[in-house]
Amino acid sequence: MTDRGEARRADHLASVPPPPPDAADLVRAVARGDEAAFGRLYDLVAPRVFGLIRRVLRDPAQAEEVAQEVMVEVWRTANRFDPARGSATAWVFTIAHRRAVDRVRAEQASANRTMKVGAASVDTPYDEVVDEVTGRLERQQVRHCLDDLTELQRQAVTLAYYQGHSYAEVADLLATPLPTVKSRMRDGLIRLRDCLGVEVATR
Amino acid sequence: MTDDIHALVGAYALNAVDDLERAAFERHLADCPACRADADELRETAARLAGDTWSVPPPRLRGEVLAAIGRTRQLPPVTTAAARPEQSGWRRRLVAAAAAVALAGGTGAAVYAVQEQRVRENGTLAAEAQLREARTRSILAAPDVVVRTAPMSGGGKVTVASSALRDAGVVLVGADQAPAADQAFQLWTVRGGGAPVAVPDGVLAAGSAVGVEIVDGLPDVDAVAVSLEPAGGSVTPTTVVGQVSPI
Repeated sequence: MTDRGEARRADHLASVPPPPPDAADLVRAVARGDEAAFGRLYDLVAPRVFGLIRRVLRDPAQAEEVAQEVMVEVWRTANRFDPARGSATAWVFTIAHRRAVDRVRAEQASANRTMKVGAASVDTPYDEVVDEVTGRLERQQVRHCLDDLTELQRQAVTLAYYQGHSYAEVADLLATPLPTVKSRMRDGLIRLRDCLGVEVATR
Repeated sequence: MTDDIHALVGAYALNAVDDLERAAFERHLADCPACRADADELRETAARLAGDTWSVPPPRLRGEVLAAIGRTRQLPPVTTAAARPEQSGWRRRLVAAAAAVALAGGTGAAVYAVQEQRVRENGTLAAEAQLREARTRSILAAPDVVVRTAPMSGGGKVTVASSALRDAGVVLVGADQAPAADQAFQLWTVRGGGAPVAVPDGVLAAGSAVGVEIVDGLPDVDAVAVSLEPAGGSVTPTTVVGQVSPI
């Protein structure tokens, strides 16, 4: 199994195609049990899955463990992906975020984490193998749009998403009333949606 | 009410809600296609934030993952006849356990009411209650959690989510009809052929149709029973109204 996977990886890397594979097509193929498609999906999403989990958990070893759980979950539940509800990559990242946050909150039961505020406080090393240009453009766009938010919107969104805080915790951290935090999360995301040009196909 | 709960849409899309809130919110989405579209878009937006977190995992992870999927059975396609509307989405995973609290109709509304009450009191929750919540979440999120349900004789469901890793479980009682004001549901565990043992602090509030209890050592028991008792509970079960077995 592993050997076959490695062989495929070599093939794939030798011919990294300029047009990246469509994630939705890959997930559909994975849902049919296509392991080669899963390998390509892994290559497409793993840096962001791992990066996201690592940013939330702040522990590379744990992040690796959770990233593996997430990718196996993607394989297991590929049939549950519904393109009418959003993109395939968002589906994967939502699973990853949920798992990371579940882990963080489970650990919070015993010990409070050190809070660090700020979206860019963890270094995110690149690998030459992945499509660095795409990654950079995406980072630039996300950061540009985050900068476009009000300070409170940005804090509310990033404390929740990148650090896994519940809105009640965010309200505490920002010394802001709960309803205000709920509203800033909502209008902050709406502003991000418009800035990033996010659309979900409605059927 | 609808407008009120929809105010959570941003927190929901950011996954900044707890399991009970998520269950309540997803019930709300099931009844409101426009709200669902709104939530889908904001969740899609939130996922774009992952684009700023590029970090290449160690190369060995790829081989490990590929080996793991070779051992992992895939879920079958959802058959539309069996799927309830609110289950057609894909966000449901282990939280199915928590969502099980939000049963159909009246019970769901009751849980929702409890939930809203809790949200209002969130700022002043006792540390103990917060710990309980965190433990509940931790159990529901355990990778090995097993969820079982059984019907209650008066309508409704008992749901047991048990994790050997956490050596504990969460019992969710959701009766369609609340007991009389001077009666209460009580939880029991049964091992082997032994007599039912009362769960410590396992008596629900008098007159309450719903309750969530953490039970230590739950994976070791053979059955969980719910009985109807005089308020405050009894030493032995009076009328068993639901039993989940095996755990």
